[in-house]
Formats: sequence, C-alpha cells, structure tokens
Amino acid sequence: MRRLVFFIAIFMFIVFSAPLPSVAAEKPIVIGAPLATAFLYGWDAERGIKLAVEEINKAGGVNVGGKKRPFAVEVIDTRDLEPGVPVSEALLGVEKLILEKKADFLIGGPVRSEAALAAMDLLNKYKKISILTTGVLTPAYHKKITDNYDKYKYCFRNTSHVGVMMNEFITMLEDLRKTHGFDKAAVMVQDVAHARAGGEAMKNGLTGKGWKVSDVKIYPTGTTDYSVGLNDSAKFGAQILFIWMDMPESAVLLKQWSDMKLKSLPVGFVCAAEQPGFWKASAGRGEYLIVNLVNGGNAPAKITPWTMKFSDAYKKKWGLEPEGYGTSSSYMAVYQLKDGIEKAGSTDTEAVIKGLENSDIMGVYGRMRFDKKSHQIIPSLDPKEGAVTGIIQWQQGNRVQVFPPKAAAGKVLLPPWMK
Amino acid sequence: MHIIIYGIINSITLSLISLGFTLVYSISRVPNFAHGALYILSGYLVWLFINKFAGFPYPFAIIASIGLTAIVGALIYRFILIRIRGMEISEIIATYAIGLAILEGLRWGGLRGGTFTLPTFAAGSVNLFDVSVDYQRLIIVGVGILTFVLLYAFTRYTKVGLALRGIAQDERAAMMLGINSDMTAIVSLAIGSALAGFAAVLLLPLGNIVVEAGYNVLIFAIAVCVIGGLGSWGGTIVASFVIGFAQILTEAFISTHYQMVVALLAIIVTLLVKPSGIFGKQKELEERV
Repeated sequence: MRRLVFFIAIFMFIVFSAPLPSVAAEKPIVIGAPLATAFLYGWDAERGIKLAVEEINKAGGVNVGGKKRPFAVEVIDTRDLEPGVPVSEALLGVEKLILEKKADFLIGGPVRSEAALAAMDLLNKYKKISILTTGVLTPAYHKKITDNYDKYKYCFRNTSHVGVMMNEFITMLEDLRKTHGFDKAAVMVQDVAHARAGGEAMKNGLTGKGWKVSDVKIYPTGTTDYSVGLNDSAKFGAQILFIWMDMPESAVLLKQWSDMKLKSLPVGFVCAAEQPGFWKASAGRGEYLIVNLVNGGNAPAKITPWTMKFSDAYKKKWGLEPEGYGTSSSYMAVYQLKDGIEKAGSTDTEAVIKGLENSDIMGVYGRMRFDKKSHQIIPSLDPKEGAVTGIIQWQQGNRVQVFPPKAAAGKVLLPPWMK
Repeated sequence: MHIIIYGIINSITLSLISLGFTLVYSISRVPNFAHGALYILSGYLVWLFINKFAGFPYPFAIIASIGLTAIVGALIYRFILIRIRGMEISEIIATYAIGLAILEGLRWGGLRGGTFTLPTFAAGSVNLFDVSVDYQRLIIVGVGILTFVLLYAFTRYTKVGLALRGIAQDERAAMMLGINSDMTAIVSLAIGSALAGFAAVLLLPLGNIVVEAGYNVLIFAIAVCVIGGLGSWGGTIVASFVIGFAQILTEAFISTHYQMVVALLAIIVTLLVKPSGIFGKQKELEERV
C-alpha cells in the first residue's frame, strides 16, 4: 500500500511539474503600465488592461511568428495626478518599468499631459513603443509626433484629444440649438492648463457659430462654492452651462446648480460625474448632466457588437460598469498591440510600429486605426469609420449615450424646470 | 445681497474649519498639522458607518465619528506629542507626518474617486432676498454661530474650560494651582480634533470626501490662524470674515481665478504688516521682548 501511494505521488509530481504545452510555456510579452493608480483615470485603465490580457491569454495568447506567447502586466504608480508631485516622479516610474520590470511595450500613461510629453524622449531613448490610453488630452502630443516622426514614432495614442472633443461638443450644442432654440452659454472651468484651453476654445468655437457666450470663469482647484458664477450665468440668461473640470469638488457645482434650479443644461468634461456611483453620491442631483467620457464604451452603450460584450465582461470581473475615461481605450490598446505584433510577426520595435500603423480593427468604440503620420487614433462620428466619443447624459441614474447620433441610445432630456 | 449672504456663509465655513486648529494651539501650543487629516478621517468614518453597517442611523454615525476622531486626537498627544512637547519644529514635523500617514493611508485603503459623499441634512433651497441658498448652507450658518457661543460658554463657565484657559494664559501658574498640563493638552487635542470632525460632518455633505480636501483644509486653517493671530479665538473669527468676504468680493469683481490667491496674499500682507496677526497679543509681546 505504501509503495502504491509512493508511485502515485511520483506520478502526480511528474504530471504537474512537466512543462505544459500551453501558452504559459512561452516567454510572456511584458506590458508596462505607468498609471496614476490612486485616481479614476489610472485604476480604471489598469482594470481595462488586465481584463484584456486575461481574455487574450485565455484565448491562447499572441501569435508571434507562429508561436503563441502570453501577455504579462507590470503596473507602476506614477502619482502624476497627485498635487505637488513633480513630473520627474512619473518619468522615474516609466524608466523603472523599462529597466527593472523589463517591459517590452507600454500601455496607459503617464496620465498628466506634462508628464506624458516629457516621457516621449524616454521612449525614444529606449526605443519602446507606447500606446497612450488615458489622461493627456493635449493636441501637442500627436503634433510632436507629426513634427518629428523619426524621433517620436514609438508613441501612439488611441484616445481622443481636446481638438476633437471641442468639435464634438459644438456639433452637439448646435443640434440642441436647432431643437430647443438655445443660443446662450456660460463657461466655467478649472484652473489647470487643459481646462483653461478647453474653456477658451469652447468660447471661441461657439462665438464663431453665433452663440452668445459669457466670460470664462476660472476656478482654482479645490473650490467649494460656485454660487457667484452660477448666479452670473442665470443673470446672463445662459441655457447651456459648459463645465470643464477634473477636480472632485466639481460635484459641489452640480449640487448647487440643482439646488438653485438654474434654467441651464450642464454640459462638459466633469471627471467627478463619470463614475457609475456618481448618481447615488450626488443624491440624484447630477440628473440631466451631460458628460463627455472622451471615448465610447466608458459607459454601457451599443456602439459596436463589442461594446456591450466589453461592458458585461468588465462588470463580471470588477463588479461594476466601465467607470469612465481610460477604461475602454486601455482595454482596446492591448488588442491593438496584439494585432500589431501579429501583423509584424515579431516583437521587434520597428516591425511592431509598422504593424500598429497598419492595424485596423472594429473595436469597442468603433473602427480603430492610427493615423500613419501622427499615430493618433482616427476619430469619427460614425463608428464604422473611426473611433467615436462617449457623450452621455445622466437619466434616472443611468449613463445614457446621447451623442453622436449614430451611436446614441437616447435623446437629450431637459430638466423639468427648464421647460 | 448675494455678496453679503454668501460672504457670511463662506466666512462661517472658514471659522468652522479653523476653530479646532486654533483651540489646540492656544491651549497646548502644539501646531496640529494633522488637522486636515482628522477632518477627512471624521468624514470618512461617517461614510463607513452609514454605508458599511446597514441600518446605522445618520445622527449616531455622526456622533460616533466625532467621538472616534476626538479619541484619535487624544492618542496622538498621549503617545507621540507628549515626548516632543515644547520642541516646536519636532511638533510640526510629527503632526504633519501623522496627517500624511492618515490621508495617504485612507487613499491606500480605498478613499479614491468622487463617489464618497455624505447626505445633506436637508435637501432643497430657499430664496433669501432673491438669492438662492440651499438648506445645508443655512444649517452651517446656524450651527456655526451656535458652536461659537457654546465654545465661548464652555471656556468661561465650566471647570474644564477654565483649566484650558488657565493653561493657555500661563502654564506654570496654572500648574501651581494643580492643573495637570499634559492632561489639559490631551483634552485640548481631543476637543480640537472633535471640532475638525464636527466641521467635516457639517461641510462635507456639500461636496465629497476626497483626500486632497484634507490638504486644502489645513492650508485654510493656517491662513486664518496666521491672519487672526495664532491662538486667538476672536482673531480666528475676524480673520475668517476677512478672508471669506475677500474671496467673494474677488470672485464677484475681479475673477474667480484669484480666490485662492487672496487667502495666500492676506498671509503675506499680515506677516509684513503685523507678524503676530490681527489679535496675536501674546506673540506680539514675545516679539517685543
């Protein structure tokens, strides 16, 4: 009997210690993810990346010249969204991923524009391909690539930027003008570079279309009272309250707007209002707010067949709907990288750059392909033609996609006190 | 009228934020740089009670949270500050480090994003002289004024309050009369922390509980105390009104952009013109000596 047990033990040892003929046997392709993990745009990106990696590995991995290799993820906290943390901190994180964690490719951040722009030189130094998927809305990123392709060809971005977002907002507001006769807007933005630029661009854009726009109100980060600005907007007769803020205190603005029952529809880029928990957190006072989630799929929608598949998979794995900006783009970047590597047939940097430039897949938020000169995702209002935005409105506790029309699941609703 | 109403609201908000910091400094001479962290901790505790323990009534959650924050304050003195009492630089470093540990610990523990909020005491708004004001802000004004009155009465008509004042005025003389200096400091830290917690439960329902607010609260508390005169209660209230109205006037007539600058500029002007602050008499005497 003891001998039988001994042989069974030996047999089990051999069975479980023998190399499996599966994907796990091959050397993994390491994805380094530099992200500000304490903030929404960081942790949701991390979750998106991990979900995609899990799905791809489960399906056999990446076909690299006939060999199936799995992905592995190394995440590092760049802390670049924390106040007072210098850009150098994020750069150290990127360098650590490359040198210590031996990342083959980077996906994610750095998240703050200043840090991402500075990291471009590091990517050139180490010849590492990066797909930027979250934060960083500045057009300067892809402009740098266009202006100096040879130096910055390693950088790709599969998420939108301010220039595109402005046009989307203006198109949507023009639609509202036709439907409801709106022609006056007030602009309230946070005192950070991207928001100030966004506010000014919005003012100029709308003025150019014949709108009357009040002076841009700029609020320091951490402001907890917006009553003066809101009262001024009411005196001005604004029907649109355009907001561009990524600070959590913007929730105060929305609560004040709701309590004051202002006859204006709040629209904008409001980080605090992106997450599924916002409605409950604002005790329903975020109802009717229209938020730009930058890319489609950051909330449940029916943009492509993959959108709800992704949304359901995300909910199953993480226990909640896709949370906000950075989720769908980070998820898709892993699939784009897979496609680029498979097209290249190797993980060689130059070959994968060409592979990514030729990649063209129907993803979570439409057709996904990079512009060959700027490495910027090609946007469109039609998911069949390009990557579409995710502009949603809070309606009865749900984030309902209301723009662009070809991807919309509902119409814009006005608060009852505006009628 | 809008400027007057919101100026008063803003000023009382600043007073509530700063009272705990002033109280601790005036009695124990400890600059409690963990004040902002205790403010957020208290708000987070209320959130935990009402969201993680089903059926926990909101008023009990508030009381429990303020009580726990007071205990944390007392423990900070009993186990850390008592060893470095009188060494001002060490006190600053220690309290700031404790504050950092609390705030970053909360962030690490999951306090991230904008979905941590407390319910308002009453929803809706009312028009006062044609100015819309929400009920929560009116409650803040009422409760704030009541707090000032009760604190005044506490320090003048109760044994503990008189002991606190005794230590604040002359520690050695108070000790000769049998007042225990360390125990008084523990009580002051506990009350100061409870006041930070009290401010949190009143003010946080206006927005959300975020780690960054802890740093902002500390900046404003310091600004108010420097301008009013470190350790001066009257100075704290006057300085709150100076900053509160300066901010609203700046917002209305110059630009919203400069709201924060006004508070910091006021600190610089005060330090240049009257370094001891508006009511900083004791410090002024020390400076003369």
